[in-house]
Amino acid sequence: MSLLEIKDLHAGFEGTEIVKGVSLTINAGEVHAVMGPNGSGKSTLSKVLAGHPSYEVTQGSIIYKGKDLLELDPEQRALAGIFMGFQYPVEIPGVNNAEFLRLAYNAQLVSKGEEELDPLDFDELLDEKMKLVGMDPKYKDRFLNDGFSGGEKKKNEILQMAVLNPSLAVLDETDSGLDIDALKVVSEGVNKWINKDNALILITHYQRLLNYIQPDFVHVFGQGKILKSGDKNLALELEKQGYDWVVTETAN
Amino acid sequence: MSDAIAELKGEAGVLELHRKFLETGAVPAFRSINEKAIARFEELGFPHPKHEMFSYVNTHEITSTPFQLGTGTVEPAFVDANTYASCEKSRIVFVDGAYEAGLSNTTGLPQGVKLVPLEEALTQADIKTHLEKTIEEENDFFACLNAAFLKGGLLIDVSAGTIMESPLQVLVTGTASKTPTAHHPRLFVRAGRTAEVKLITKYVGTGGGYLVNSMQDFLLDDGASVVLARVQADHAQSWHAEKSRVYQGRDSRFTALCGSGGNKLARVHNEIRLQGEGAEASLSNASVLIDDDQSHHFIRIHHEAAHTISHQLFKNVINDKGRSSVDGTVIVNEGAQLTASHQLINNLMLSDTAHADTKPNLMIFADDVKCTHGATVGQIDQDQLFYLKTRGLSEELATELLTTSFVESLISQIQFPEVVVDLKNLLLKKLEVKSD
Repeated sequence: MSLLEIKDLHAGFEGTEIVKGVSLTINAGEVHAVMGPNGSGKSTLSKVLAGHPSYEVTQGSIIYKGKDLLELDPEQRALAGIFMGFQYPVEIPGVNNAEFLRLAYNAQLVSKGEEELDPLDFDELLDEKMKLVGMDPKYKDRFLNDGFSGGEKKKNEILQMAVLNPSLAVLDETDSGLDIDALKVVSEGVNKWINKDNALILITHYQRLLNYIQPDFVHVFGQGKILKSGDKNLALELEKQGYDWVVTETAN
Repeated sequence: MSDAIAELKGEAGVLELHRKFLETGAVPAFRSINEKAIARFEELGFPHPKHEMFSYVNTHEITSTPFQLGTGTVEPAFVDANTYASCEKSRIVFVDGAYEAGLSNTTGLPQGVKLVPLEEALTQADIKTHLEKTIEEENDFFACLNAAFLKGGLLIDVSAGTIMESPLQVLVTGTASKTPTAHHPRLFVRAGRTAEVKLITKYVGTGGGYLVNSMQDFLLDDGASVVLARVQADHAQSWHAEKSRVYQGRDSRFTALCGSGGNKLARVHNEIRLQGEGAEASLSNASVLIDDDQSHHFIRIHHEAAHTISHQLFKNVINDKGRSSVDGTVIVNEGAQLTASHQLINNLMLSDTAHADTKPNLMIFADDVKCTHGATVGQIDQDQLFYLKTRGLSEELATELLTTSFVESLISQIQFPEVVVDLKNLLLKKLEVKSD
């Protein structure tokens, strides 16, 4: 059974259809890169997967671990093992970063019928994960994303992913706005997390990221559809020639 | 029409109470102040509903209630329970407006901090002049009534260069009363040149039925600093009026971080005058209002010298039929160049019947200044809520987290850890109860 099966998905925002018939199958152990120009429907796909209330699915289906994903609330999707790494993580002043992570971690344990982890044990776990993603421990005591630099916000997303250890992670332009050093650190964190039991969807605008995280599949989005799929060489070709040739090729 | 009659009755009631007070309860040293103040009150009268100073505050209940002067007592255990651990040897206690030396303990105060009964302090010409002059200029009837019924109070005199390592707590207690009582505590804080003053004022009651009408003057000499934390934890069935007048010399700093639980009517008036170059004032308040709680803030900050700075941040969480208002004006005088002023008022509304009035206002008479102001009235931020839900938090837990975080980010800036804990108990618990 596939981990995720998207069939003929049509979805949009405030009555405008943006994703216009996307089908995609993702198995455990796979890394999929989704590329494409702005407005091609990449981010809408990620919002739909996470269950954002402003996005509406008008046609098609998404089956995750054999269940109808569209029936689940965002928090139920999270508890079922889907993680969304935001392009623009929101700042929440007043919510302590470590405390928030502990609440999220324990919500998962409770949903599996397990005992909550006490604060001391969680602190140990958190220290280990922060090391993994190269994050300064001082960010434990900061408010969630509040006043973080762009790079620290993205690192914090990867930290959350490492702590929550999802089955499927969707990283929406996690590489945007990162300098090369931060990109390397973030990629390293992601690579350490990848294993044969989980899967990753990398949404990105730039081929650069794929030098550090090797995709098994590359999909090119355009006008709300997958125009072309291939292996990582497709990404290299895109970098050289831009998106236009894909659009032209598929139009013919 | 009926309102006018009630108010007339109310004013006559106050004058009658004052006549009795002068005959039996007054202290001779304050006689001239009492008389000047009641005369000023007679000129002002109770506010018309459209009075600028009270446009968002309905004083009808207070002005139509016949108050007597409170003379209750409290048990030492009650005082102990409301004393912060670090202030056991630096606390002063007011009960129904009167300074209670027996309940206070000031053995831990540094030598440079002198507590002088206000009637003694009146022999100092500058204190007396200040008190009399401020009455003539006073437009707030609450402040006039405080002076009209003034019979005690305390001068906290901090000599030049004195540094308070730990805070002095001022506990203002109202006692439970079946018939409404009013009391008028008065503080005068004088911070000498480069002195550093730390103060915590906490307002509590042993029960409902009282009106606390408190008045504070702060005089900051050049380079002085006052850090004030204020905890308004009055009984829900009481009324709270308060005015602080702050006069700041060159390079002085006044920082007030406050938490308000509200009550039947809590109204705080801050008048800050930045008189010396480089003076800086910062005023913040977090309110959590549920049921019929009310909390109102009226602020006037006068930038009277160049290079002065003011910051204001107000955060209100309002549920049920709670009401809040923040009416704040920053006045930059002619010649007060290169001043900076920031004002932000944020309201988080949790019910359809909650009410918030905000009036951020700037009056600028100089041409080289940097002033910003803004206000928001909103519900829970949907993007924040979604973010938390995508991490597996339930709607209820995410909502509670966002509501508490809204005020916690302000409260946590208070530099006295015990006050932070106390305010979390006071304010955040009010929110928990509602989500159950």
